[in-house]
Amino acid sequence: MKYALKGALVAAMMAVPGLAFAEAESDDPIIIVQNNWTSQLVLSYVVGKALEAEGYTVEYAPSDSQLQFQAIADGDMHFQVEAWEGSMKSAFEKAVENGMVDAGTHSAATREEWWIPNYVLEKCPGAGSWQGLDRCAEMFATAETKPKGRFVGPPADWGKNYADRIDALEMNFEAINVGQAATLWAELQSAYDRKEPIVLFNWTPNFIESKFEGQFVDFPAPSAACNEVKEWGPNPNATGDCGAPHSGWLKKAAWSGLAEKYPGAWSMMQNIDFSNAQIAAAALMVDVDGMEPEEAAEKWIEDNADVVAGWKG
Amino acid sequence: MQAEAQIKCRNLWKVFGANPKQFLKKHHGNPSAEALNEEGYIGAVQDVSFDVNQGEILIIMGLSGSGKSTLIRCITRLNDPTAGEMEYEGRDLLKLSDRELIDIRRHKMGMVFQNFGLLPHRDVLENVAFPLEVQGVPKADRVERAKQMIELVGLGGRESYFPRELSGGQQQRVGIARSLAVEPDIWFLDEPFSALDPLIRAEMQDEFIRLQTMLKKTIVFITHDFEEATKLADRIGIMKDGRMVQMDTPEQIVLNPADDYVAEFAKNAPHERIVSVRAIMGPVAADAVGSVESTAKIGSCAEQVLTGEHPVAVVDPATHEVVGSIDRHRIATSIFGRRAA
Amino acid sequence: MTEVMAHRPSEGLSLARLPGWVHFALIMVAGVLLSLVWEGATRWPEAWVIPAEPWLTGYIEWLKNDATIFGVEFKEITRGIGAALKAPVKWAEYLLYRGFKGIGLGPLPWVAVAAGVIIFAHWVGDWKLVALCVFSMIYLAVFNVWKDSMKTMTIVIVAVPMAALLGVVLGIWVTRSRIAERIFTPMFDLMQAIPHMAYLAPVAALFAFGPVTALIATVIFAMPPMARCTILGLQTVSSDVLEAGQMSGCTKRQALWKVALPSSKRTLMLGLNQVVMQTLAMVVIASIAGATGLGHKLLYSLQQLRLGVAIEQGIAITLIAIVLDRLTQAYAYKETDHFAAEKSWVQRHKHMLTFLVILVVSYIAAEFYRWVNIPPSKFTYMVDGEKVTLFDAKQLARTIDAALREFNTWAYPYINPIRDWTTINVLIPTRDFFLWLPWPVFVGVIALAALRLGGLGVMLLCIALAMSFIVTGFWEQAMKTTYVVLIAATISVLIGVPLGVLAANPVLLMPPILMLIGIIEIYQIVAWLLVPLTVPDIVIFSTTIDIAVFATIAVLAVLFLALSPRLREVIFIVFAIKQIVDVIFWILSLLITLISSIGGGDVSGFSAALMSGLPSAAWIVTALLLLRGVGDGLFQGSPLVNLAQFFQSVTRVILSTCDTLQTFPSFIYLIPAIMLFKIGDFANIFAIIPYAMVPAIRYTYLGLKRIPPVTVEAAIANGTTPMQRLWKVELPVALPEIMLGLNQTILFALAMTAITALIGSTDLGQEVVRSISTQNFGRGILAGLFIAALGIIADRLIGSWAAERKRQLGVA
Ligand SMILES: Nc1ncnc2c1ncn2[C@@H]1O[C@H](COP(=O)(O)OP(=O)(O)OP(=O)(O)O)[C@@H](O)[C@H]1O
Ligand SMILES: [Mg+2]
Repeated sequence: MKYALKGALVAAMMAVPGLAFAEAESDDPIIIVQNNWTSQLVLSYVVGKALEAEGYTVEYAPSDSQLQFQAIADGDMHFQVEAWEGSMKSAFEKAVENGMVDAGTHSAATREEWWIPNYVLEKCPGAGSWQGLDRCAEMFATAETKPKGRFVGPPADWGKNYADRIDALEMNFEAINVGQAATLWAELQSAYDRKEPIVLFNWTPNFIESKFEGQFVDFPAPSAACNEVKEWGPNPNATGDCGAPHSGWLKKAAWSGLAEKYPGAWSMMQNIDFSNAQIAAAALMVDVDGMEPEEAAEKWIEDNADVVAGWKG
Repeated sequence: MQAEAQIKCRNLWKVFGANPKQFLKKHHGNPSAEALNEEGYIGAVQDVSFDVNQGEILIIMGLSGSGKSTLIRCITRLNDPTAGEMEYEGRDLLKLSDRELIDIRRHKMGMVFQNFGLLPHRDVLENVAFPLEVQGVPKADRVERAKQMIELVGLGGRESYFPRELSGGQQQRVGIARSLAVEPDIWFLDEPFSALDPLIRAEMQDEFIRLQTMLKKTIVFITHDFEEATKLADRIGIMKDGRMVQMDTPEQIVLNPADDYVAEFAKNAPHERIVSVRAIMGPVAADAVGSVESTAKIGSCAEQVLTGEHPVAVVDPATHEVVGSIDRHRIATSIFGRRAA
Repeated sequence: MTEVMAHRPSEGLSLARLPGWVHFALIMVAGVLLSLVWEGATRWPEAWVIPAEPWLTGYIEWLKNDATIFGVEFKEITRGIGAALKAPVKWAEYLLYRGFKGIGLGPLPWVAVAAGVIIFAHWVGDWKLVALCVFSMIYLAVFNVWKDSMKTMTIVIVAVPMAALLGVVLGIWVTRSRIAERIFTPMFDLMQAIPHMAYLAPVAALFAFGPVTALIATVIFAMPPMARCTILGLQTVSSDVLEAGQMSGCTKRQALWKVALPSSKRTLMLGLNQVVMQTLAMVVIASIAGATGLGHKLLYSLQQLRLGVAIEQGIAITLIAIVLDRLTQAYAYKETDHFAAEKSWVQRHKHMLTFLVILVVSYIAAEFYRWVNIPPSKFTYMVDGEKVTLFDAKQLARTIDAALREFNTWAYPYINPIRDWTTINVLIPTRDFFLWLPWPVFVGVIALAALRLGGLGVMLLCIALAMSFIVTGFWEQAMKTTYVVLIAATISVLIGVPLGVLAANPVLLMPPILMLIGIIEIYQIVAWLLVPLTVPDIVIFSTTIDIAVFATIAVLAVLFLALSPRLREVIFIVFAIKQIVDVIFWILSLLITLISSIGGGDVSGFSAALMSGLPSAAWIVTALLLLRGVGDGLFQGSPLVNLAQFFQSVTRVILSTCDTLQTFPSFIYLIPAIMLFKIGDFANIFAIIPYAMVPAIRYTYLGLKRIPPVTVEAAIANGTTPMQRLWKVELPVALPEIMLGLNQTILFALAMTAITALIGSTDLGQEVVRSISTQNFGRGILAGLFIAALGIIADRLIGSWAAERKRQLGVA
């Protein structure tokens, strides 16, 4: 009797997810990647909610910004709304080779460059350009880099070799790479509070603009020749003696099976396009107004109903 | 009165060390003490042969480390002997399959451990019922049987206590109850009372005798206490460095110790309670007054002999013939003489 | 050591008779000389580097893409396993936060979960456990982390049983089979010594990205302690018990399940404790591999520099760990009810019934009130028609952020000189020394040490391990790791061992501390007289309060001295504790002053502020400590304050802090470390210490506690003072255990290098982290293995030493 009861219970339990799964079969969830910075979180909710409004089932999966692409290629996750040229180019390209789909580029342009808070200009008025900055190099020195100045560089795996650029431009700096983006911000916050000179890697758009006042440092404008022709640029004996492009790409990445499985969603995803202003507005609601990313997404959709409607068409 | 041997052991060896079997072979099954020492082997049991008779209490004694525990652990197959033969009721104990061995343990053998060996996670009732549980006895039956056993050892009312909530004496009673739960034919006890204080110990000994008169089991019992041994034993085996130096009745051990080692053991033994009149009597005396049976212990007739002026006649209880006489002098030397020496 | 050499039979080599240090010196000289004539001794020749990295990467790619077993693609198999594991995770998700959409049933309402936990606590534990659970549930609700906690729990409630079960099964297997022992014992070592980050990428590649990867990584990490405890437990069941089982006629299986396992419950429960702790310690890293919940949110908070929020989330993780741990332990040790049989069915099942009622009611209520389902994000109430916020977690978080920044700005000028001085004079030279070291010296010294401590086998193993990173071209990273870990471990031990001693034997430290009291008191009064000349009002104010309170106490003491000896004891304790805390602060401030003046910082105002401003902080700490002591004293019905009781509670505080440090996500310390110390090895070491210190404390404590009481009593009988006892008896006897703590400290520090890599480093840890993004499986796994290799070398050396020493002491 006891066993019969248990058996029945187990059977019932097995049946319930069976139901749940059976229903889900018809519309498997679309899995949208979430990373750990604001704009991406808000935009992924925006996309998710737009898809849900069309009747799709959506799930969000958190992921490391680098591991995600392979997972998208394998179909474990389906869509990433923000792929940055600056930090993710190599992982992105490798995953595309392995079958991930490049779902198009946003109109938003990204820029990554050396960046200084504005108060640095008071102590070193020329710091807005690389020559001026170089003249005050010692101001940025730390115990490890003395007498050279310290440039706080991006994580080593982001594929930027600033040591090479420093060499090429014969600057009096040493690049110290951080291990993750949060480290950059911690360095910046600490220096900023104390008005200590600092020059670090930064990019746009991100939440830094809304919290800290500062500017990118000007380097010689990049060109194809810069990386190939030694004679080009300030140093006639080196290649790579120039800055980064002012507009890097911001792409969407998708699983190859989407087109077949969710044709409607796929066409929407291809249409999705954010501009710098839209991204900034989305991030601002969280970073400055203190909303939760999900709330911010709802608000953003409300504010930009026409944009969202446009994706469908 | 040749009793039937329930267990037979022949040339039993238990050697501890790296490769005991090969070691024994190398020395043709009989290594010398030097050989053992030199090659780092311990001869815990060496060439021991004896029988355990149906219904007797056989007590094994010996100094610490002399191999007593190892010997009975060989018989119960908790340790496999390195060489030798053992039979249980005519079956070769060493050739049993695992299944048969388990069966024998489940139904024929019981064992009480020096340190109780209670299962800490089970209460008294569950501990006692444990051997029945592993046999698959239905719950109601085993609980009932376990309760009887607990009652028998005087722990009624403590069924739901855990070992940690019991005193040493109580724990040992649980051990005893557990070993009796399966109604074993042969009962092994390894220093069951040595962890107990003298009072409880005496109490437990009496209890043990009481149980034995009720249950009549074959018993192999290890103790360090010669007095305890004489109180309980039919026969005593004395071990030294792994060898069985003598196995005999308490009386014979006291009167005819095989060597100094055994004599040392028997030295402080209460002769009056061990030695029978027969062993010290003199020739038939004409002036004898009164009589005692020849099998009576000298202690039981000492008063009669010592208070009288004349020797006392000794009578064989079977034939009722006078076989000798006993006088004050003989009693006094047998009780005090040796002790003075 | 010379003695040992002398007793050894001479092998005809006069070399063997030389004292030990000569051997080491010879090896070093030989190695350095070799490096002068052969450049390959400084840097392993490029041409000889074994390309293990591309092989390994290629192998995993092959496994992932092409490998087949019996005609089935390997990937299909792993993905199949992944899919199978997904089922229980899905179930947990339905139950905890998704709801059963198929039958229109929501997830468990929070009221039901919270009530369930509390009811369970009441069933298995005492009022303290209930209080802990009530507090934790309220915490999770008001700090806005409920839903994320439930998401985290989905992995936890699957991973914990899985890891525990797997651990027990493997543990049993190892005790049963030689072959299994040979295979698994080193595997357990590796699984724990390899930083978890190293296998995230390959596991993700093979088993499908997502919660399952997180689950597998968590289980890999959390399982070995369970297996080890199972092995230990089974091997240490008293032989009497086992034999009693055998004589009862147990079959092998019965002997295992009915005798051996249940009697090793204590050790098994220790294993379970470790599983719970490790699982929760993995929460943040698991989120890198696709687990949702607290870990993910925490990383996001850190990314936004919202440290306050991150701390709140980190505390939530720790609370969950503690609650889970205490509940499981209480359940396991629940007293059986001797009178259960006499109670009615309802009485016996009252907890269950209450829960069921609450469950049903809350499901129904959840239909009407949202707050039954999910705690409200703000707790507000109405006053005169206006909403008033009762408690705002976000506001608190912002305050924490501001306070931390404030502290940072204030402390930086004093700390920076220390950082610079240490970096230039200690860290950089040490690093350069290790980088300069010719590898034959490194290998030779390790080999010789291994030979002397553990014999030929250990030596060969250590040589093989050390050569492994040399021949594959990871020498430089390995040396950087070695140097950071050595320094961090040294500091951890220097802090951890005294704390362990204090925990084990707090009374022992009293006499010297009491002697200090007088000195400090005089110093304080002098400082108070001088301070007004040099520092701002606030400092004078706090010092005045300090002195005033002391005066009050002194007066009270004089008044009541004659009346109550008990009270005298109270006053003495208040006094003593305050001073202990004071002294700690004082020593700290002296150190800071000293070092920062060496570094050329301006310190006069600061040190004065520290020396006289901190006493009021000391008072707060004292009051908290006392409250605990007094509270315990009261509740146990014993006299107001009981000295022993009080010190017991000191012990408990230290040990539960250990638990906390183990599960509190170490990512959180990284940010303040960076803010205060900038990127660099100083920050790395600082971030390693709180984590690596834990085993040093624990093992010292255990080592001292395990000394046989006779030994201590004999020393007392010999007329030793407590201090003599500590130095001459207890510490030497406990030394092997303490050394094992050092061993664990090194392993923990090594593991942390993969996390401090996020600050920025160039060692093996960085290689591990970088391999995740570059999908360079081979490089990541290799770097992970080499970290493990360093750990195993340390483990074997110290382990052999400790085993030998234990044998000598007869406590093996
Ligand atoms: N498992 C074992 N491995 C090695 N040597 C053992 C083992 N068991 C017993 N011995 C050795 O065998 C010898 C006999 O031990 P045994 O336990 O039988 O002595 P004992 O007579 O029962 O002693 P005690 O009166 O102290 O219980 C001792 O020298 C002991 O060291
Ligand atoms: Mg024994």
